[in-house]
Amino acid sequence: MSEAPDLSEAEAFAAEHALGVLNARERGEAEARMARDPAFASDVEAWRERLGPMTGAIASVSPPHDLWRRIERELPANDNGVAVNRLRFWRTSAVGGFSLAAASLAALAVLVAQPPSAVTKTQTLPPPGQLLNASLTSTSGRQVPLFVAAYDPDRKAIIVTSLLPEGAHPAKVQELWLIAGKDHPKPLGFLEPGKSKVIPLKTDTAGVVAAGATLAVSIEAPGGSTDPNGPQGPVVGAGALSKL
Amino acid sequence: MAAAATTSDILGPLMSRIAAGEREALRQLYDATSAKLFGVCLRILSDREESEDVLQDVYVTIWRRADRFDATRASVMTWLSTIARNRSIDRLRARGPLAYAEQVDELELPDGADSAETLLSAADDRNRLHGCLSELDERTEKVIRTAFFEGVTYEALAKRMDAPLGTVKSWIRRGLAKLKGCLQS
Repeated sequence: MSEAPDLSEAEAFAAEHALGVLNARERGEAEARMARDPAFASDVEAWRERLGPMTGAIASVSPPHDLWRRIERELPANDNGVAVNRLRFWRTSAVGGFSLAAASLAALAVLVAQPPSAVTKTQTLPPPGQLLNASLTSTSGRQVPLFVAAYDPDRKAIIVTSLLPEGAHPAKVQELWLIAGKDHPKPLGFLEPGKSKVIPLKTDTAGVVAAGATLAVSIEAPGGSTDPNGPQGPVVGAGALSKL
Repeated sequence: MAAAATTSDILGPLMSRIAAGEREALRQLYDATSAKLFGVCLRILSDREESEDVLQDVYVTIWRRADRFDATRASVMTWLSTIARNRSIDRLRARGPLAYAEQVDELELPDGADSAETLLSAADDRNRLHGCLSELDERTEKVIRTAFFEGVTYEALAKRMDAPLGTVKSWIRRGLAKLKGCLQS
């Protein structure tokens, strides 16, 4: 084979990520770069396509019969699915990095406008209340969205997705805070990198949120901040809840 | 390539239905792809119980992230296999440094031409990649395959092969550049 031209530094990094040779820190960097740099993300996808056929040589093996039931039990409840979709809908329109085909976006918009179908069989639901949304951007440097959150008044719950790469801040926890009026920041719970979480709120807290509030995330030692006045660790992201 | 076109014809619409929260669509995707993905997990982990756990996690992840699938950038099977491979590699890495103590073994690649695969894999792509990989020198081919199937980092590869990190890195980068050239030609 004749000598091929070297890959550019960016493409080599993309190829290495697709191949799987990067260590945890570098993988985190690559994931973060994919989220903000579409050209890099395309390079990674292209390399996954190039290398993917290697798995084609692997023989198929039927999983055990009960595995589907195990998976089904793990899936978020039906109404949860719809709420998460509402969040996804919002997130897609706010964060350009997560592209969705226009058709599916339209389909989701229709879905958002409908009450959950499984429930309508037994009762009629009032139209869903107005979602409040927040994009929690980095508090220093470029304003990159690190977390997205939505408050669903129907469920009195906040749905938060951490966009940090999995494995970010090992041995630390991400603590979510509610900041409203002159009150001390109120801890709402912990987030996991790369995952979505539904946090139900007590009625009085929900009232505060509905009136408009700011959400923030701090990086804390396991167990969270022990300071009753608020975060102990650095605040990495913050953003105000508002209507779309 | 009729088989490949059929695969994306079937799986593509399933992905949008899954993104919209339709469980039945996930069930159909599971029926069509779970044997293939279970094979991928088993190949990487060589442990049935762990592979079952990971496979469960893979489909829950697919359910949660189906909205991120972008048909213009990736094929469904590659996207699914990437999740299965990454999750398996995460599990493998979580076993700790011992997992890297093993020698780079001879990787046997069975020709898995079973029935599900005629539907699911694009045999032409596989053969072309196989051909291009075998044009690399033997050592480079082996490190690329090992990295792919075991998620072995540069650091661990260097240790296993008793070679400097920079050297291993340049073998792989050169190998990947050649691979790209070969696949394009």
